[in-house]
Amino acid sequence: MTAPALPVSDTSLRPVGRRRGAFLREILRRPNGAFGIGILAVFTILAILPDVLVGPLQTAVTATGPRLAPPSTEFPFGTDQLGRSILNLTVHATRISMVIGLLATFITVAIGAVLGIVSGYVGGRFDAVLMRVADFFLVLPTFVLAIILTAIIRDALGTGSRELFGIRLSLLVIVVVIGITSWSSAARIIRAQTLSLKERAFVDRARVIGASSGHIMRRHILPNVVNLIVANAVLTFAGAILTETTLSFVGLGDPFQPSWGQLLEAARSTGAPGLGAWWYFVPAGTAVVLVVFAFTLLGNALDDILNPKLQGRR
Amino acid sequence: MSLRYLARRLASAAITILLIVILNFVLFRMMPGSPERILLGRIPNVSGEVVAATRERWGLDKPLFPDQFVAYLAATAQGDLGFSYGARGRPVTDVLLQKLGPTLLLFGLGELIAIVLGLALGAYSGWRRGGVLDHLGNGLSLILYSTPYFLLGMALLLIFATGLGWFPTFGIDTVGRVYSGPLDQIADIGFHLALPLATVALGLVGQYSILMRSSIVETLSEDYITTARAKGLTEGRVLRTHAIPNALLPAVTLIAINLGYVVAGAITVEVVFNWPGLGTLTVDALSSRDFPVLQGVFLLLSVGVVLANLVADLTYGILDPRVRT
Amino acid sequence: MRSPLTRRVRPMLAAMLLLAPTLIMAGGAKAQDQLVLRVGTDQKLETLNPWQSITYADYEMFSIQYELLVSFDINLEPAPGFADSWSTSADSKTHTFHIREGMKWSDGEPATCEDARYTYQFVLDVLASDDGYVGSGYLEPYLSSAGLESVECDDAGNLIATTSYPTTLLTQAYVPILPEHIWSQYSQQEISDATAEGYFANEPPVVGSGPYHAVEWVPGESIRMERNPNYWGTPGVPDQIVFQTFESVDTMVQALRSGELDYVRGTGADQFDALATEPNIRVAEGYANGYTYLSFNTRATEDGYGGSTSALEDQAFRDALGYAIDRQTLVDRVLNGHGVPGTTHVPPYHVDWHVEPDNPRTFDLAEANRRLDAAGYARGDDGRRVDKDGKPIVLRLTWPDSEDHSADAQFIQGWFEQIGIGVDAAVTEEGALLELLPGPEYDDGYNADWDFYMWGWGGDPDPNSLLGLFTTDQIPQAVNDCFYSDPRYDELNTLQQQATDEATRKEYVDEMQQLFYDAACYHVLYYDSELHAMRTDKFTGWTNQPPDTGVPLFGFGYPGYMLLQDASAVPTEGPPTAAPTAGESPGTSPTPSAAPAGAGGGVDSTVLLVGALVVIAVVGGGFLLMRRRRPAEEEE
Repeated sequence: MTAPALPVSDTSLRPVGRRRGAFLREILRRPNGAFGIGILAVFTILAILPDVLVGPLQTAVTATGPRLAPPSTEFPFGTDQLGRSILNLTVHATRISMVIGLLATFITVAIGAVLGIVSGYVGGRFDAVLMRVADFFLVLPTFVLAIILTAIIRDALGTGSRELFGIRLSLLVIVVVIGITSWSSAARIIRAQTLSLKERAFVDRARVIGASSGHIMRRHILPNVVNLIVANAVLTFAGAILTETTLSFVGLGDPFQPSWGQLLEAARSTGAPGLGAWWYFVPAGTAVVLVVFAFTLLGNALDDILNPKLQGRR
Repeated sequence: MSLRYLARRLASAAITILLIVILNFVLFRMMPGSPERILLGRIPNVSGEVVAATRERWGLDKPLFPDQFVAYLAATAQGDLGFSYGARGRPVTDVLLQKLGPTLLLFGLGELIAIVLGLALGAYSGWRRGGVLDHLGNGLSLILYSTPYFLLGMALLLIFATGLGWFPTFGIDTVGRVYSGPLDQIADIGFHLALPLATVALGLVGQYSILMRSSIVETLSEDYITTARAKGLTEGRVLRTHAIPNALLPAVTLIAINLGYVVAGAITVEVVFNWPGLGTLTVDALSSRDFPVLQGVFLLLSVGVVLANLVADLTYGILDPRVRT
Repeated sequence: MRSPLTRRVRPMLAAMLLLAPTLIMAGGAKAQDQLVLRVGTDQKLETLNPWQSITYADYEMFSIQYELLVSFDINLEPAPGFADSWSTSADSKTHTFHIREGMKWSDGEPATCEDARYTYQFVLDVLASDDGYVGSGYLEPYLSSAGLESVECDDAGNLIATTSYPTTLLTQAYVPILPEHIWSQYSQQEISDATAEGYFANEPPVVGSGPYHAVEWVPGESIRMERNPNYWGTPGVPDQIVFQTFESVDTMVQALRSGELDYVRGTGADQFDALATEPNIRVAEGYANGYTYLSFNTRATEDGYGGSTSALEDQAFRDALGYAIDRQTLVDRVLNGHGVPGTTHVPPYHVDWHVEPDNPRTFDLAEANRRLDAAGYARGDDGRRVDKDGKPIVLRLTWPDSEDHSADAQFIQGWFEQIGIGVDAAVTEEGALLELLPGPEYDDGYNADWDFYMWGWGGDPDPNSLLGLFTTDQIPQAVNDCFYSDPRYDELNTLQQQATDEATRKEYVDEMQQLFYDAACYHVLYYDSELHAMRTDKFTGWTNQPPDTGVPLFGFGYPGYMLLQDASAVPTEGPPTAAPTAGESPGTSPTPSAAPAGAGGGVDSTVLLVGALVVIAVVGGGFLLMRRRRPAEEEE
């Protein structure tokens, strides 16, 4: 989307994953990983407890501040053109942006993992066709496709204020669109991994003792690609946040549930940059950059861990 | 490069383009709002007969399949992408061509600068892995990579155009200006180009540097590098003659493959600077429901990326003997 | 036809090859020889063919280039245009327009009564044709609503127009008089249908009769106009006028600030307030000739309609809701004070026609509750009111995504919640909304699947068009989108169109406003102001049209442009004068300036595009090859 997923090396591989606790420790041991996790922890808390931290989401009706006021003790991040606290909006937007990112990542990685494993394991014509489709999706200009799909899906689902997971349908459309437009690179990477696992002795052994394909994929392949899936998910998350921000920025967000991108769009359409109202777009802008940055760092740390070839050279 | 390799690549690109054309048809027949209603908007005094006439004029009265589909394929093959609603019926091809030049200029140059700078920075970072410059450069690259293009553009615009007043705030040239000569005009365009170009280049340089860095790091661990070192070549020489050339290929290939992502996301830069290119056109077509234009942009960008990939593939084929099968 | 690309692509290619910092620095310094008025607009400049006009910007383009038969002065009073005098017979059905003698089109051809006759006859032919409209269909109603029957030229060069009923609307007709020798070469189809073979786009240089005419057009982006050397009146002070479209209003405002523009149309409310305090910038807030409304689906549950509750069909219900809308708060908080709370559907812009209703619905939640109770909409257990079918009332509120009404929606949601009415608010794509609104009368498959929604209408100097939107015959046209139908209103509309006495007409118009207000099909939310801003250090003499309530440009006719003065020539901003300053010899202005340097090229644009691609490919590929070749040499 806005940024391509950075390459995750698919050369790494050891048969069975280590204990998760050790894995996390290894991430934290690296400055990259520790820093990334730290930033994400802060934003996760903001996303979980917005009401506790800054009160309920302010609307035009409940806003109390003056119009476009600079930061003050009462409004630490200033106010918007309706007198709403930017701090309140940005913290609530954290939840929206993070949930959209999370759901989009889940969809992307789920599609990518299932198709990647099945395609790699089953092979043959099925694999060939599926990978052609994946290549096809890689080539499509995802941003324009996302714009078009958003309009189509929104029309099919209808808009309205119906909610799912506390997110309005109009925003879930963005989730689906990100999923549809970005599953292919995850599928390709996981397929490559599956292909190499398929030839390993432990898979052969399972096959010999009569395990079904489904069983092998679930029990033997999946555990061995989990790390790769996690590493891919982390980078997908970063991409999803950027995509959501950009889609909202061109006007496809929902003003009733502001995300960071929606806030930036509102700031732009109010003319905040020209008005010198830096407080309107700096918090949301910083949040986007920080979170994407944190995910990318984390992704790098994971890549380091999963790619033993590079590990030795530190 | 074998003929078979060439033929296979060409065939595969052709099939992809055909699929794109078909997808394009399907997608746009699913868009909300019937075309004639959008075309006619809220014009007073439009009767049902006029609506019917509009439908007929735009070929919307015929069944979707096969009539409309066949007509669409035939027209697309002839480069006829229909008419723009937003541009009051100007052919879409005209509209696209008008905007293609500025976009090619901005992104062509931007990509070039970003590739050269990014690869150099990445190569250096990877070579001096763990050094001060690596940390600085890599950190900067990651931050640039994490910043949405439009945000970067807004920042540059604020600082250098509105704040310091060094550069113009919008457009590709000074409208209505009478130039004393071509040099004068080139200077004017260059002057307007500076900020958007800097935004595109900065936005891209981060990810290219990251790509190149990891590629170099990987290459440096290869056996032949160890061999080269063992032969007593200086570090600089090892880097220049062995590491960079071998690391470059995967990096450049990844860049070509990612072209679709990159350009598509970066189009918001054009909106920030009012740059009269395909990005501004896309956002505008989106807000004015100009589906034929959106369809055209989609087709143009997709085919562009397919062709770029094809070129990358073929270059790869020429350069790397291992793939010549 | 010269492609608009040529001018731009070739230098661009050169720029790619030669771009260097020195050149960049040189770019800013070049002085302007000509006095150029630069105008920014947020609307796209998509057409020079007047029949295709839709937006304010489109109207402005033809208003400057072509005379109307009778124009508008700075007070919006009828003024000499293509005709220099006019009179009407005693029965007000025969109208005589004396065409100015000795007038010429910008290409030197004589401009005569024949041109006016051709233009009006073209409209009559269009109206009689199968299509019944031309281009966008916006201009013909000016003549059809005046009841125009026939036009002819008499021997003295007068245009004689006959109408089927007495009317004064012909002097208000916003139809540009076009040069017959150009336009008569094209068929109605070639003028009307932009997609037709041989479509006449009226590309520059435009042959016109107004003070300026377009000489360069980059479709959708900009239009450059130069003085018309044959303009009949006193030439304007600007040598050129350039109109530029902006995708982002913020960028446009920045350009005004930095001096790259002299005038901007359509700033945001906050930007307007900030500009008001800047040196060398003047702001103008004009009454809007239009309004933002809340429209109800008044046939909600009738057969074939898709509203969610029968309550919407009840005038008492809609009336009660009107008391729960604090229009002043909407103006203060959403528009930042730049507007007027709404009442009737003829905005106060029409000072002579607007009336306040006898029984205005003022914000009073208790009153709204009382009225809802009285009308039989009791509250259910959860505090939500139920309709007469026993269904809790939750209304769907929407608006097109081309306008941002999310703040209005939040307010309305908040107030309606307090009177027990649920509101489910979401934006709809404009195209989808247009599909949603019409009922089954419009066409098969339309079912008005909505409850209430927000949008806006804009009008003309005369209130006729705004009044005409709500006649019964506009329901099947999908224009009367609240399905308002009242035989008395229809009758009054005909009467007001035919009234020749202003006082009588005003009585009709007053009654129409009151009727429509009482029906509560629309709640007019506010009349949002036109916000314009201009620089005063390059031009002075900015004059609003009309002076009390208008803005200088984008009005009617072109008087605002003709009153501009060169700020460097006029040290103090005095009262605007129409006469040229003494220093300006008539010889300087009419000469068309030299063609822009890049304009003459005949190089095919496709070639240049391919060239640009090749350059990129060669440089990129060369880089790649160069890097690749070296190790190969050394490894041997």
